[in-house]
Amino acid sequence: MSFLEKPQRNVDLTAYDGKIPVHYKYTLGLAGDKFFTAIKKDGKFVGTHCEECDVIYSPPAIYCERCFASLEDSWVELPSSGTVVAFTVVTEDDQGKELHCPQVIAAIQLDGADNVFIHRVCDCCIEDLGIGVRVQATFKPKKERKGTLDDIEYFEIATE
Amino acid sequence: MGLRKVACVGAGITKFVRRAKETGRELAWEAAKMALDNAGMTLADIDCVVIGSAPDAFDGVHMKGEYLADGSGGFCKPVMRHFVGGGTGVFSPIHAWQHIASGKFETCLVVTEEKMSSCFPAPAGAFITIFDHTTEQPLGPTLIWIFALEMNRYMQRYGLTEADIAKVSVQNKFNAIDHPAAQLPGKITVKDVLNSEVLAWPVKRLDISPASDGAAAIVLTSEHKARRITDKPVWVSGVGWALDTAYWATRDLYYPQYVEKAARMAYEMAGIREPDKEIHIAEPYDPFDYKMLHHMEGLLLCKRGEAAKLVADGVTARTGRLPCCPSGGALGVGNPIAATGLMKIIELFLQLRGEAGKRQVPGDPRIGVAQAWGDLMQVGTVVVMSR
Repeated sequence: MSFLEKPQRNVDLTAYDGKIPVHYKYTLGLAGDKFFTAIKKDGKFVGTHCEECDVIYSPPAIYCERCFASLEDSWVELPSSGTVVAFTVVTEDDQGKELHCPQVIAAIQLDGADNVFIHRVCDCCIEDLGIGVRVQATFKPKKERKGTLDDIEYFEIATE
Repeated sequence: MGLRKVACVGAGITKFVRRAKETGRELAWEAAKMALDNAGMTLADIDCVVIGSAPDAFDGVHMKGEYLADGSGGFCKPVMRHFVGGGTGVFSPIHAWQHIASGKFETCLVVTEEKMSSCFPAPAGAFITIFDHTTEQPLGPTLIWIFALEMNRYMQRYGLTEADIAKVSVQNKFNAIDHPAAQLPGKITVKDVLNSEVLAWPVKRLDISPASDGAAAIVLTSEHKARRITDKPVWVSGVGWALDTAYWATRDLYYPQYVEKAARMAYEMAGIREPDKEIHIAEPYDPFDYKMLHHMEGLLLCKRGEAAKLVADGVTARTGRLPCCPSGGALGVGNPIAATGLMKIIELFLQLRGEAGKRQVPGDPRIGVAQAWGDLMQVGTVVVMSR
């Protein structure tokens, strides 16, 4: 079979079905535990600060990747606002199916943080979104928060 | 050959546990930081990083090398990850040795990690696809099938009993009582092993090492760096690795040829002619009790079929003529795959420096060998260390 030919249906070739029968339960880790607890309990972002390198990590790490110092006792609070570093508008899901409503995903640098994380931006903001635009987090109501990434409903364009 | 001498100058290890709260990269950092502190070095002193970790499917993280890189000190440094299954941990210092012996780097941080507790219902489930998808998988094989066939064949070949083999589990779990990182230390009896649940005859629950989370790390350097860092360098004086046939049932089920090949390569480099006389201390890979016996024979530490007698006679005890697994081994300390092999390297490092504390083997040991086994159960990795 040349590389240009593709089997049109799987049944054209004799095959066995295969599956790796496992699933995963990931621990949050020491840093993740504090990060998500602060979101759940207080609706706040926290990070860790390496004084030596003057770097703030949020999402946090218990060590500084640059100098390897322990940051286990160097926690700081951060505002829930940040800046869009890059964004995309997603129109198909991970199975290639068209989404009813396009999803806006952005790389966001929280104010004060040196690292960048990924989250949703409210689709009502599409028109005004751009790189460098100021955004702020909207948390779910406290009783719905579970200590996961979804406790952050999305980011919206900052009003201030 | 123009290869440079390579020394180990520091070591660190986390506690081995059934389920760690820490993420894999946090475990990696704990061990790596401890190794640097132990060597009196900082991350700025490190030229390159090698990371050893077994299947991505254990932690449930694809590209695990990249995932672990920041916790392993890899930020803005040359980083390489290697993987030879269960043989990974003893391959890790070999990989780092290549970096330094070649003259390319002066210092290398070597980090190994496994977080098997992420994998549900059991890490063994991730192994189904190591078996051939058409000639084996339809039978529903598990890893233990391999070990049961091997153990049975080994017992039959040399007329050994399950009790003869159980003595290894008893010895290693006892040795682990003195290891601060140990997960399953304890005083058990041969009867306990024989009465434990049969998984696939003749393999029983207590013949097997546990699934574990943990990390281990060492620092390797060139000779002139090592002389400035410590007055007690431990030399990586021999390295060897070899692969048997990919058809696991076809290879010799009662004798690990792959280990012998790897061992001969390492011994030749280290100038060892009579390993049974010249080696003072050994850390053969013991994920199963019979495997320590298998591997002692493959490492040429005794004649074929005689390893069980050495264990029964106390020769392999910590106070014996040839201590084997004085750490407590995978059976006692635990088995976070890649970290287990490096735990064995760390044991040699500490023993040869006389820093093994309560575990210290008497008689001022000068030469040790560590070995691991893996891939589809046909790779042997061997390191000789000396002072």
